Amino acid sequence: MLKRLSGGHVVDPATERDGVIDLYVEDGVIVDPPSDGRSADETIDCTGLVVMAGAIDIHSHIAGGHVNTARLLLPEWHRAFSSRPGETALSRVGWTTEETGLRYAQMGFTTVVEPAMAPSSALHAHLELADTPIIDKATLVVLGNDDLLLSMIRDGESENAIADYVAWTVASSRALGVKCINAGGSAAFKENVRKFEFDDVVPDYGVSSRQIVKTLQRAVTSLGIAHPLHVHCNNLGVPGASSDAIAATMRAAEGDPLHLAHIQFYGYGTEGKRRFSSRGRDLAALVNTTPEVTVDIGQVMFGQTVTISSDELRQFAGRAQASPRKSVIFDHEANGGGVVPFDYRRKSFHNALQWAIGMELFLLIEDPARVFFTTDHPNGAPFTTYPDIFALLMDRSVRQAWLEALPKAVREMTSLAEIEREYTLNEIATMTRAAPARLLGTADRGHLGAGAVADIAVYRPGADKAAMFGTAAFVLKDGEVVVRNGAVVKRTFGRALTLRPEPDKAMKARLDRYFDDKYGLSARWFEVPDGALGHNDPFKVVPCRA
Amino acid sequence: MDRAWIDGQPATSDEALDAAAKLLADAVQPFVGGLRTDVAGLRAAFALAKDLGAIVDHADSATIEPFLSALRDGGAFLAAPAEMRRRADRVLVLGDEPATIGADLLTSLSTSEPDLGVRTRGSGRQIMVLGTVAGPVEGHDGVTRIDCASDDLVDVVGMVRARLAGRPIGEGPLGGTTIATIAEFVAAAGFGCIVFSPAEVGALGSEQVFGLAADLNAETRCSTLPLLGSDNAMGAALLSTWTAGFPLRLSFGRREAEHDAALYASDRQLSGAGEADCAVIVDALADGAAAAAPAVALPAIVLAADPAAAKAAQIGFAVASAGRDHDSILYDSRFGSFVGQTAQESSELPTAAAILTALAERLGGRVADAA
Ligand SMILES: [Zn+2]
Repeated sequence: MLKRLSGGHVVDPATERDGVIDLYVEDGVIVDPPSDGRSADETIDCTGLVVMAGAIDIHSHIAGGHVNTARLLLPEWHRAFSSRPGETALSRVGWTTEETGLRYAQMGFTTVVEPAMAPSSALHAHLELADTPIIDKATLVVLGNDDLLLSMIRDGESENAIADYVAWTVASSRALGVKCINAGGSAAFKENVRKFEFDDVVPDYGVSSRQIVKTLQRAVTSLGIAHPLHVHCNNLGVPGASSDAIAATMRAAEGDPLHLAHIQFYGYGTEGKRRFSSRGRDLAALVNTTPEVTVDIGQVMFGQTVTISSDELRQFAGRAQASPRKSVIFDHEANGGGVVPFDYRRKSFHNALQWAIGMELFLLIEDPARVFFTTDHPNGAPFTTYPDIFALLMDRSVRQAWLEALPKAVREMTSLAEIEREYTLNEIATMTRAAPARLLGTADRGHLGAGAVADIAVYRPGADKAAMFGTAAFVLKDGEVVVRNGAVVKRTFGRALTLRPEPDKAMKARLDRYFDDKYGLSARWFEVPDGALGHNDPFKVVPCRA
Repeated sequence: MDRAWIDGQPATSDEALDAAAKLLADAVQPFVGGLRTDVAGLRAAFALAKDLGAIVDHADSATIEPFLSALRDGGAFLAAPAEMRRRADRVLVLGDEPATIGADLLTSLSTSEPDLGVRTRGSGRQIMVLGTVAGPVEGHDGVTRIDCASDDLVDVVGMVRARLAGRPIGEGPLGGTTIATIAEFVAAAGFGCIVFSPAEVGALGSEQVFGLAADLNAETRCSTLPLLGSDNAMGAALLSTWTAGFPLRLSFGRREAEHDAALYASDRQLSGAGEADCAVIVDALADGAAAAAPAVALPAIVLAADPAAAKAAQIGFAVASAGRDHDSILYDSRFGSFVGQTAQESSELPTAAAILTALAERLGGRVADAA
């Protein structure tokens, strides 16, 4: 069936289109206008509406063991969802895979990446993702605190052998990329190390954080994995040390692609009488002059949330600020992690400045193709705050109103009031559509050119940008209308985008022995079996680069 | 071979499904329980329960409830067993239940040594048991046991915490010197691990144990391995949490899931003391019946791996055993997550998931129609 989206203002930076154009959809993909004059079987009138590709979230913790533990820890969690109307009895509504999919779809997001899947939690993460409706999803698998990688580096094993291990991990876990979280920091914390920097070495291995990051960066490149190594740097949140860590990591990219996650949490200096200041301007300048890196922000918004991270060392330190006062710290194989609830308060100097630093970074990083739109959901804020963030980026007067509500001491510590930039629709589409697809290597999405999957978000433009992006007028997923006037009208299931590198046979045999001998575990348990997820065709394989 | 029964008489699957659908359609408040099945069976059971507006629980949820309650109230330090096997140099085992429900783990810890970490490697592993039995590790090298009754564990852990904090400790079941010995044992660990059964020490006891781990982490490293009596119940609780937001003992009676650990417990509902007036019970595992199968005082639709159990129900279906007769995804505490299990036998019997899905299709969304 041929569908026509007629008369809409198409904003599609990937194909350099920004104007009123009719789009055609058939069999779930976007097609060229019919040359034979064939008329559409169905027309969706988009006159006066803005048409973009479905949005892509490259970093949002939506599934897996740690996320589920957050649900267990916080049955009162739903208060964190700012869009939920009014107060509901605490015991009544939870934060579920169902709600995750529906709420993303209502905002016009059609692909979401769960960025911190432990190899041992891969099946669990994929089970949850398979239960998450409408959206397509993908995962990044976490390496960099695991005994085997650290041992291989210590023992001087070849880059090929290490790449084989990375390939096995990616293939078994059905990941789309590789993430490295406080490289060596969790392993060091198991040795009771409480502070860990980029050139510190993990006891017993004698391997530095820098070596781990560089080794994984090379392995990812050599395997042809499109998404650059996704790095969560050392010393997250520590004034001074955080900005040193991210600067050192960025310089270590050395011309090769590297993605740095939630950089807002690293934009902290030690100036001022509270020993907490913004280094947003310096950090943005460093990003602007380091073209091989991409970053996402991890914007903080005010209200109750929960931090979920495989950075066990920093989550352990963060326990002191837990609100409510309870947290879970994991000592698993490799990374471990922690779940720490947090309440970002507008009246807190510290939290308000965090908000301002995120905004500075968004606005001072010049290239919207290298800065990605995230709250590090739910670490900086739940993803349901996205509409407000769009409004803040696109409308200086909204920012001004927010700034005026902050403590005066914060306004003195940020240059935000002077920044005039307002994101255009085209820049928003670049940041949330075109660039994420390029970053992930998923050429079938992020644009509205012929051949792309027909994941399309249609918005009703207006002065209130939060309203515009909060409830899409229409959303099409694989060519089907799933959202109309902000309400889900059809509940479909998307797929998980995965790489499928062919694992080396010798490495597979070695890993069978390794997990059995060292841990008493079967290597097979790390696999996500075909048929495990209960849907036909649950995966879509994205090719590696030649 | 018969596969379905109505009032003990053989029936075709279609007849039994029709009868089951009628029973459920006439019920005011259905209950979906047992849940002794794999992930596919759980998904189908939750889908049916949502359609029916049912109350949901697992037969063995009592074994995990104290753990979940303690975690929710105060947080936790949690380890993976495999990591502790390589890392922990000192293991404190609390109570008597670990000797039974954690026998494999204790054996594995007592026959291996930490091989990771400069602080832990090379010094061997010491295990201290506070209980009346040490079970499979009794008499092993490096194992000591301090006699302690289950009922005294919570007090003892509290006194160890007081001792570590330098607070005065009063009269207790073990005496000050023994408390000091235990405190020194855990404090001197490079990486300590506390093994306990939340069902044995209760929710408050579990909070004390997590508190002890938290105290110890101020200076050294320590984590815990709570032993849960039923892996299958834990898997069901995890799936329930991502599906409904709550770990079992919940009701879809008002569409949005509501959680109440007392009100929606299996025992209360199945005994007829609760709101439920009709039950769907899934018992599709190879390893025998639930730990404490309660008497069912309600009309019940039973899906069981044991044909005798199905035949004894008002309406019964013989189903394949998850993990034995068909490939399954099951929670495994050795791994601390879900694992794929390949079938060892083939079976002509339908899966629990297939019967539950067929039943839901016959009912066609009862709640949706009513709304
Ligand atoms: Zn993150």
